[in-house]
Amino acid sequence: MELNSGAFERFAVTFDKGEIIFCEYEPGDSFYLIQSGRVQISKIMGGLEKTVDILHPGEIFGEMAILEEAPRSANAIAIDDVKALEFNRANFEILMRGNPQIALKLLKLFTKRVYDQRRRFMILTLDDVSAKVADVFLMLNEMKPPDNLESDERVFHTTAEDIAHWAGISPEKARDVIQHFASQRRLELMTDRIIVKNINEFVRFVNSRRRQV
Amino acid sequence: MPKAITYKANSVIYFRGDTGDKIYILKGGRISLNSNDIETGQDIHDQIQTGEFFGVKSAMGKYPREETALVLTDASVIAFSVPEFEQLVSKNTRVIMKMLKVFSNQLRRLHGKVSTLLAQDEQSDPEEGLYRIGEYYLRKKEYSKARYAFNKYLTYYPSGRFHQDANKFAQTAEAYLLKYGSGKGPTAVGLSAPSSPSGGSAASPGSSARDSSSGLSNVAQKYYDAVSTFSQQKYPEALASFKHIAESSDDEEYTVKALFEIGRCLYTMQQYDAAIKHFTSFVQRYPKSPDLKDALFYVGQSYQQKGEKERAGSFYSKILSMEPVEDGLKRKVQKAVRSLEQEA
Repeated sequence: MELNSGAFERFAVTFDKGEIIFCEYEPGDSFYLIQSGRVQISKIMGGLEKTVDILHPGEIFGEMAILEEAPRSANAIAIDDVKALEFNRANFEILMRGNPQIALKLLKLFTKRVYDQRRRFMILTLDDVSAKVADVFLMLNEMKPPDNLESDERVFHTTAEDIAHWAGISPEKARDVIQHFASQRRLELMTDRIIVKNINEFVRFVNSRRRQV
Repeated sequence: MPKAITYKANSVIYFRGDTGDKIYILKGGRISLNSNDIETGQDIHDQIQTGEFFGVKSAMGKYPREETALVLTDASVIAFSVPEFEQLVSKNTRVIMKMLKVFSNQLRRLHGKVSTLLAQDEQSDPEEGLYRIGEYYLRKKEYSKARYAFNKYLTYYPSGRFHQDANKFAQTAEAYLLKYGSGKGPTAVGLSAPSSPSGGSAASPGSSARDSSSGLSNVAQKYYDAVSTFSQQKYPEALASFKHIAESSDDEEYTVKALFEIGRCLYTMQQYDAAIKHFTSFVQRYPKSPDLKDALFYVGQSYQQKGEKERAGSFYSKILSMEPVEDGLKRKVQKAVRSLEQEA
């Protein structure tokens, strides 16, 4: 995103490669717009650091701090030397007035966050553990449209731990369910990926388990 | 071009589950957005105000509509494509700000719902969470990251539960970074076992069992004395007593109670900024406290006293969204909301 530079130079901050920009649980009051370099968003779960996202110039992070001062929900770490613009609630309105494009971008970002969170919530409301796991695959499928729409088969570069995280169950339980699906030939478990044989069958399965509203 | 459209009563503009790329603004008439609560399945009917946009999220994000837009009385709307909408609002960033606030409210509510449903409540205590991050990086020999986390811990919780260890490990991280460099050197001693169960420390409910055998414990006695000082309107004295209890008690139950009362003293003494700050950190540290909603209420009241009505209002609506709200508090909040409206 081009910003008529000079005007925003006073908000510029830099981070060295490998430096923490903020870490999870830290109270946050500012958000960032990346100018150059990449930023890794990670979370430490069960003694492992997981990359949640990798962000590029033009992208925004830490945006939840705009409207409320809540603890950060993930770590942000500079992958390269990073230059970013740092805003807080006080100077946010200046930014918005001068740059409706950023305001719109934020609006879209929030739209997506609300949708994602609602979607996640839908998974958690399922009572049946197998349905939860199947619904996680459906959610992942919705996030990344398949290359080949003709086929019912879908490949997911994910692990039982990730599935467990989204389904809100223990990794052991997730592995059990995935093993069980595998034994029924509904999916195939590889070291670096999981193949769902028929995504539409999962759709029907989850729908049948969802409480009718 | 944005198009003006009129609808007859009982017609439907869009159904839940439809995909659509139009965003609407209500010009006249009555329209209701009907949906089901994603948690309880309860019917929700939300009437749109004249001049209000609807269909924004689903059109912008290309998601299925979350509700059915039902026309109650003959109505006229203007329909925008997403680019037309973007052009319109980019001239008026206040509209965007307002929508951001609405979305962030929704998001906050969803966050709350998700975390209550998650069985393995991922570290709900930010203080411990921050400290554990420092430990994680120190264990990984990522010294500069460890140093960052420990130093942040010490900044925000200078006399927190882990401040001694955080202090020690911040120095270890610093020393190892200089001496060995990132990724090298011996494993620091005294770190807790990796991925220790999150609630295992002082936050566990078992900790208050200690004094159950001795009748009213010493700290409880002090606490009730302070409460009585407060009720005699000797606020500075009460504040001092509560502070003493919060700092010296090793009984979590009374520490939390005293911390809550400190905020009440500050509010009563009209130190609104201090009260806001205090209750905000209270809410962050003890999200499960039974006094949580009351704490939020005092934050709202403090903002109202400061004349920041919008903020006050957002706290009130947050409380009312956190079912179940105990009747007495509910009435107080509703009364406060009415007084806000009268002020406006």
